Parts: sequence; C-alpha cells; structure tokens
Amino acid sequence: MPLSWALIASLILAIAGYFAARGRAFAAAGPDIRRLHSRPTYHGYSVALTTLAPALAIMVIASFLRMTGVLAEQAGAYVGLVVTAAAVVGLVWGLTRIGIEYKARNTVERIVLGLLILCSTIAILTTAGIVLSLVFETGHFFQKYSWTEFFFGTNWTPRFQGNSNLGVLPLLWGTLYISLIALLVAVPIGMFAAIYMSEYASKRVRGIAKPAIEMLAGIPTIVYGLFALITVGPMLRDYFAQPLGLGNSGASVLTAGLVMGIMLIPFVSSLSDDIINAVPQSLRDGALGLGSTPSETIKQVVLPAALPGIVGAVLLAASRAIGETMIVVLGAGAAARMSLNPFEAMTTITVKIVSQLTGDNDFAAPETLVAFALGLTLFVITLALNIVALYIVRKYREQYE
Amino acid sequence: MYDTNRLENAVGQDDIKISARKVQVFYGDKHAIKDVDVDIQDKTVTAFIGPSGCGKSTFLRCINRMNDTIPIARIEGDIKLDGEDIYDKRVDPVQLRARIGMVFQKPNPFPKSIYDNVAYGPRIHGLSRNRAELDEIVERSLRGAALWNEVKDRLQEPGTGLSGGQQQRLCIARAVATSPEVLLMDEPCSALDPIATGQVEELIEQLRQEFSVVIVTHSMQQAARVSQKTAFFHLGNLVEYGDTDDIFTKPQDSRTEAYISGRIG
Amino acid sequence: MTDFPMPSDASRKPSKSSLLVADARTRKRNAAEKRFRAYGAGAIAIAMLALVILLTTIIGGGAGAFRQTYLSIPVALDAEVLDPKGNRDPAEMSKVLTLSYGRVLDAAVVEAVKANGIEIDGLTPKDMSGLISKEASAQLRNRVLADPELLGQTVDVNVLVNGRVDGYFKGRVTMESAAADGNTSPEQLKLANVLKEGGMLVTRFNWDFVTNPDASDQRPEAAGVGVAILGSLYMMLVVLFLAVPIGVAASIYLEEFAPKNRWTDIIEVNISNLAAVPSIVFGILGLAAFINFAGLPQSAPIVGGLVLTLMTLPTIIISTRAALKAVPPSIRDAALGVGASKMQSVFHHVLPLAMPGILTGTIIGLAQALGETAPLLLIGMVAFVREFPGAPLEGLFDPATALPVQIYNWTQRADPAFIERASGAIIVLLVFLLCMNVLAVILRRRFERRW
Repeated sequence: MPLSWALIASLILAIAGYFAARGRAFAAAGPDIRRLHSRPTYHGYSVALTTLAPALAIMVIASFLRMTGVLAEQAGAYVGLVVTAAAVVGLVWGLTRIGIEYKARNTVERIVLGLLILCSTIAILTTAGIVLSLVFETGHFFQKYSWTEFFFGTNWTPRFQGNSNLGVLPLLWGTLYISLIALLVAVPIGMFAAIYMSEYASKRVRGIAKPAIEMLAGIPTIVYGLFALITVGPMLRDYFAQPLGLGNSGASVLTAGLVMGIMLIPFVSSLSDDIINAVPQSLRDGALGLGSTPSETIKQVVLPAALPGIVGAVLLAASRAIGETMIVVLGAGAAARMSLNPFEAMTTITVKIVSQLTGDNDFAAPETLVAFALGLTLFVITLALNIVALYIVRKYREQYE
Repeated sequence: MYDTNRLENAVGQDDIKISARKVQVFYGDKHAIKDVDVDIQDKTVTAFIGPSGCGKSTFLRCINRMNDTIPIARIEGDIKLDGEDIYDKRVDPVQLRARIGMVFQKPNPFPKSIYDNVAYGPRIHGLSRNRAELDEIVERSLRGAALWNEVKDRLQEPGTGLSGGQQQRLCIARAVATSPEVLLMDEPCSALDPIATGQVEELIEQLRQEFSVVIVTHSMQQAARVSQKTAFFHLGNLVEYGDTDDIFTKPQDSRTEAYISGRIG
Repeated sequence: MTDFPMPSDASRKPSKSSLLVADARTRKRNAAEKRFRAYGAGAIAIAMLALVILLTTIIGGGAGAFRQTYLSIPVALDAEVLDPKGNRDPAEMSKVLTLSYGRVLDAAVVEAVKANGIEIDGLTPKDMSGLISKEASAQLRNRVLADPELLGQTVDVNVLVNGRVDGYFKGRVTMESAAADGNTSPEQLKLANVLKEGGMLVTRFNWDFVTNPDASDQRPEAAGVGVAILGSLYMMLVVLFLAVPIGVAASIYLEEFAPKNRWTDIIEVNISNLAAVPSIVFGILGLAAFINFAGLPQSAPIVGGLVLTLMTLPTIIISTRAALKAVPPSIRDAALGVGASKMQSVFHHVLPLAMPGILTGTIIGLAQALGETAPLLLIGMVAFVREFPGAPLEGLFDPATALPVQIYNWTQRADPAFIERASGAIIVLLVFLLCMNVLAVILRRRFERRW
C-alpha cells in the first residue's frame, strides 16, 4: 500500500520539519529570544502543519475520487508520490517563512481553529448523509413501486419473484401498538419512581434505587431482546395467552411492549426527575405552607407546573420506542398483521428494515429498496417527535430560568 | 435573658396565641436556635428582627412545622397553639398549617389562574360546600388582601402574570382564604419595590384585626412601622422581646442597642 | 423564666377544634397520601424487580456456557488411515480430511465402551459415535498435524461431548425429550451417565467459550465469542480514535469559539436531534454510504467502527460540552489576563480541567457503542465468521463479528443450546460494560471538582 508509505513519509517529514523550524527560529532570534514574535515551538508546529496539511488534503481527495470511480485502483502509487511531493513542498515553504517577524502562533491558531470548525460540521454532514442516502434510495423505490400503495397499502407480503405487496400500514400499526404498550408501562412507573425518589425516599433507599434504575438504562437492547425471547414471551404465552385462548405465540405485541416498557423506565424517570426538580422549591413551600399534603402538592402544584416538560419527556420516550429495533426483532415476531389482540405476533417498521436488508441484497429490487422508504418514514416520524419534544422542553426550562 | 416583669405585663394585656418554651433547632450538627421562649399574642403584629443568619426565619418555620420538610432539621422544646403542643405525635402538620398560614419571602403564586390560586386552600381543606361559597371566600380573601379591585375582572388569568407587589398580595389572599388563626410572614417585602412594600404594610395593619400576625423582617424601620411587639434574635438566641416602642427607644440589652443603632448586623 | 404565668387551658375560649384529633377530612387526605406514597414505592419495586429478574434469568441461563462436558478416552491413531502414504509429510497428511479422524474417534468410543464392559440395551453404534462433538475430529486432526510423531500411538484425548449430552448434564435435556429427539437417544444418555460415573466424562469450567470462534449449527458445544470480542475491540478502537478527537474538537469549537449565530444554532439543534435518531437509521447510512458508495468491505470492523463513531459523536459532544461549561469563566479570564491567547487559555487551562468530565462522557459513549446491535446487522456483521481478523490496521478490513451481533446470531439458531451460548455471551458483554462503567465512576469520584 504505497499510500500508507506516503502517509508515514509525510509524518516523518512533519516531525523533521518541527525540529528544523524550531532550530531555525532559535537561530533567527540570536541571543535574545524575546525578539521573536512567537515562541520557537510555534514555529515548529507551524512548519509541521504546512507539511502535513497539503499531503492529507490530497490524500482525502484522492480516496474520495477512488470511491466515486474517477481514479482507477492502479493510481495509488502515483497518488502516493504526489502526496509525498506535496509534503516536501509544504516543508520547504514553511521553513522559508521563519523569521523574527513571522507570526507563527497566529498561523497555528488559525489552522487549529479551522480544524475545530471542520470537526463541528461532521454532525451536519452525518445528517446530510442520512437524509441523502434515505431520500436517494427511496426515490429509486418509488420508481419501481407506487407510493400510494406503499403509504396506504394494508398488505405486507414481499416475494422473491416480484409482484410483492409492500404496504406500510400493518408495520406502522404494529409499531404504534407496541410503542403504546411500552409507554403505558414506562410512563406511570417511571414517573412514580421519579416522584418517589425526589420527594419521599430516604437517602438510603435513593442510594440503592437510583443506581439500580440507572443500571436498567445501561443494559444493551439485545439483552432486553433475549429477555423477551426466553423469559417474558413464554411466560405470557403459558400463563395468559393459552389459558385465555388468545394465541399460541411467544412473540407478541404484549411481550415486546412490556419489555420495551421496562427499558424505557429509566429514560422516563431520569427525564421526569430533571423536570420535577426544575419546579422551584418556593412553589412546594407555598403549597405545603397552606396545609396541603406532599401528594397534593405534587399532584396539584408540581405536576401541573411540570406538565409541558413531562409531555416533552413522553414524546421523547415515544420516539425511542418507535425507533427501537432489537427488542421487537426478538420479541414481537415477523408477521405483518393489523389486529387488536395484544397476544398476537405483529411486526414493526424496524423489524422489516432488518429483515429486508440482511442477507444477500439486490439493490435493484423493490423488496430491498423498500427498506430505505421504511427508514425514511421512521426517520421523519422520530425527527418530528424529537423536534416537538425538544422545543417543548426548552420552552419549559426557560420558564424557570 | 430579658426583663421578665415587662413580659408579664404584656401577657396580662391580651390572649396568648402561641407560646414557645425552650425551643432548640438543629440543622445536622449546627445548633441554629438555642433555648427560645416567647409568647405571641392574638390580634397583634409581632416582628422578629435580627442580623441575617440569626435564626429568625428558622424559628418562624418551626411555628407551622415547615421545618419538617427539611430532612436534617431536628426540633426540641414545646410550641403550643392555644395550649396544645403542635409537636405532639397526634398532631397532623397538614391540619396545623391550615390554622397557621404562611407567606414567603419571594412571591410564589402557583402557575394557575388568580381564582384557583386563592381557592386552592379552601378546596384542599374542604371549606366550601359549593361554587357560590367558594366564590364568596375568594372574593372576601382578595378584598382582605386589598387586591379585589385590581383583579376582579381577570380572575381567570394566570397569577404569574401579575406584578411583584400584586403577586405577594395574591399570596397573602391565598393564605387568608383558609381562615387561619395565625399568619406567618417570612420577609414578605424583601422582593418588592417601595410602593408595593407600602401596600403590603398597610395590609398587615388590617390583617391584625382578625389574626395574629408574625412577621420576619430585616428592616428595622418596617418592624417599627407595622408591629406592636418585637423580638430581637442574635446568633440563635432570643435576646430581647417586648413592646416595639420600648425595644426601639430603650433597649435593655447592649446587643439590641448595637443592632438598632447599626453597629452590628 | 421557668415559672411563667401560663394561662390555663380552662380559662381559654374553646377553639374551633383540637389539634390533637384529626378530623375526618384530614384522615381521608392522609389515607390518599399513603396510597400515593405506596404507588411510588411500588413503581420503584417493580423497576428493581424487573432488573433482578432480567439479570438472574440471563446470568442463570448463561452460566452454563462457561462449563462444558468433556470425554477423555484413549484413541489409537491408525497410521494406515491417517497417513496413507506413510511418509509423515504434513503436506501429504493435510489431504486427509476430518472425516477420517472422525472414524478413528468413533472407533475409539466403541472400543472404550467395550473395554469398560458397559452394556446398555438398545445401544446402537450411532449412539456411541454421536456421543462426541463433531468438532472433536477437527481438534484431533489439528493435534496430529502439529505433531505427526503421534501417529501409530495410542494417545489419551480429551474431546468435547455432543451438545445434547452436555445439555443433559446441565438439565436442559431430559430422558423424555431425548426420546423424541433425532440427535440423541435415551440410550446415549444412559451411556453418558455410566461414563460419568466411571470418571471418563467430566463437566468442568472452560475458557474456550471466551477464546473460541463461532461454530456451525450442528456443534453449539464448540461455539465461542473469541472473534466477536476481537471484532468489538477493533470497533471500539476505531470509535476511540475517531469519535473522541472529533467530538472533543467539535465541542471546543461550539463551546469556546463559535459565534452565536444561525449557523451554530443549526449545528446545535442538529446535534441534539442526531442524538435521538434511531440507531438502525445509522445502519442504513452505513450501508448506503460506506459499503455501497465508498466500496468498503461488508462485515469489516472498520465499517462498524465508522457507523458507531457517527452514532456516539452526539453523546460525546453533549457530555464534553457540559464538562467545558462547568469550568468557571474566571479560569479563562485569568489566563487571558496574563496575556495568553484565547486558544492557549482553552488548551492550557480549560481543557485539562474539563478532562475528567470528558473522559467519563467518552467512556459512557463507548459503552453505548459496545452494546449496540441494530446498525451492525445492516452492514453484514451478522455473517458467520470463523476466522480471526488480522492485526490492525489491515485487520480492520477483515470480516469479523461483534459481541451483541453474535448474541443475536445465536438466538436465530434452531438448537436450544445456542440460547445458553447467547446468555453466556451476554455475561461477557455485561462484564465489559460493568468494567467501563466502574471506570467512569472511579474517574468521576477521583477527579470530581466543585467550583
């Protein structure tokens, strides 16, 4: 790999440049080091940067051209040469600039600032990448499959030989049904837990309960998925679904919803905790001073005051639930179905993204491309929820600042 | 510590609403209130004065057991309301606070409408049987707090939208609405401008007709203006207690004199 | 002061009600208060119970993965079969497939049964040969190829036992279930019992689970998380070397240098939204951008690392900014006051002071990335990989898998023995996560500074 050799060569040149430049700066200063505008190390950094920067820039551009196919694979060696040459030119040019007057520190700081700005734009680039990749492939999908059938179709039956039904509604139904159950579990438990910990619990209880609940948050979702698969699913099937005659499937909406609810408890409780603590103590004192009990204070003063924040927290939790993948992959099943029976297996958008994109993918077939349309749908739903939630939470915080 | 004879005279004049004996308060290891004995009379404004950190607010919060809400606070000694020990095991602080209302330093209206703010206490304590009665209590309380004329047309607007002085009077109306027997006020004017302060002080004078009012203030002028009785606290001790006029004109204790003449504080 | 003239209670006007008696309404309200409190305590109890059940079922189910049943028998290594040319040339010998070694082992089992005088009604040769794992022949072959001198001798070998028999000793397989199972039989289990009593069959702790690569559907007893651990480690390295510098640099810019304008506003909103984008969407991005567009190989740790880098960046940026914000402005003013440039004040003073906070946030971000599964499924990490990836940097481009993906992979296998493996892999994953979190807590405690 000549490119990696070029990289190493440029690095060595840069290090050599650093020491050479420092030496030259000391020499230029003469006996009184204070005559230099910048300290010699800055001269060193400045030359090292002028050596490395052009080399790296050329390398990045070349790899990008290689990816897009403009450059052939054999061009690697030439690129390596160009990179090394650029490093040498940068080194020589940098060294000639050294002098008493030269503002090496300012140059270095400008370059570093430029790097910092570059890094901060990566977040934007990521979003752009997500949007572009989703929109682009979704466009391909809609050239092959009618968008009305996708958005309004109630049938999901992909077939290898083509002629598939790819309606999103059954998936959306499963997603929303499971998320609803998860929220029904997580919101009351999470909120009561937060209330109890912030208003009632003794220091000792808090010292045990808080880390325990935080631990729930640190457990990866695959673990929850396995829990749904081997414990919760069979338990619900054997003790509820079969005796009640409601189904024979371990994977079900209720299984996934319950386990996802457990996963969301710490999320809801930590958000609620922040929000409840943001309500000023003076309001609590006011209510207690009038003779209300602590629970009346919470129900009638603290919670109404915290309501916008709580709504925001619930929306954020909903967005989490909708985008959750592993729990539903292992706990909800794969059958696309629109039913009200919570003991039946149903499926979600995320499950189908996984099943359409794992294995051998044919990126010309609508059965594969549909995953991108599903991804875009998911992205838009969760983004909308997040924007609304963050807006509400931010407004709420401002109210008490 | 202070002149017992003068106190005996004072007791003879009026009913004693609250009597405190040997009250001690500890915050963790800190001994915040030491051996405080005081009798507070009915239909009187009693002012607690003293330099900041002297324990006057802490003692005030003992009277309606607001210190119960602070986990590290510990209280010893007796405080009696109408002869009943308020720290007795059988006493429910909730019931106690309905009889001893409190107004805080910073106006703290609930984020609800003006009406709901005032109606809050009567609702939780079940003081009204129907809407008409509640309306009447709200109106009476707002009139009592000298706020009725300013807000009668916008009772459904949020209480947080009022000006600072109006908010504090709303809080007073809120406290008055539960028909307490004692009203505790913890520096009620410290967050207000002079005009609003004047309005609240005027109000305190009226409130005295019906309640026993205890006010904590860091302003000696205010104490002199509104109170009939004054207690001077210093470093957790009750240094001197007596008629306001006496305290300000012929203090018995050198520390009181130093404080009112501005040498400590 | 003690003999105060106290007004006697009798002389007082009767007050409206005594404080010492709770009225009906107060009693009702206090009951409501108790109920409310009970709900809160109940919520905590439910959450903690869920945690306990979750951990006990997983750990209880996974502990078995660290114990394995082995059979030790003498095996006569027949040179005729294993080295037909007879010249002991490893190149020639490697042409002999595992199948032949399997036959040698089968014969050894039959021999051992006979030699020990074991007689069980209805015991078939298939039951006997099926006792040992299909992986055993490969193990034996490797041993012989490494040391051709063994040929012709009778050596004691210690081989893995079939997953069903192993499951029998762990309580997963019973005589009843064996009767209906094509892969084992009650006779085989009886034989195993006898061998166990004879001390030839032992269930003991095995490290192989942690070091072995994955194994195929037929041999759960040989499957391990070695490749997955290495793959996860490689991805964490990528995340560490990309996400941390980029995240810290971005935070420094946004917190210390960025002017308050529309552009910075957009970046900030963007970062907080990115933090809430479902992880699977990052998988789609990885598939579209890194594999389809940039042409990077599927299943490679580098791609997984890049995807996880993009995913953890917001977490790292948010926590780093909080750490920078916690450094009081007086520090910056002090540095600027002695003539340092803005850049110097940040790099010489603010950044070192914020370092503990940054490290804590980084470790938590890494822990999150380590447990992430969904995006990795989409970039082909779910493939069956038995070869260990090479050393970095080239090794980053070799196919590998990751711990959470390996867990998912095993849940999709038919043999229930893989569920035990999946739970065992979770124990490994949780141990790693626990270590990282403990490290974060220690860092926070050690360096926590209150301004």
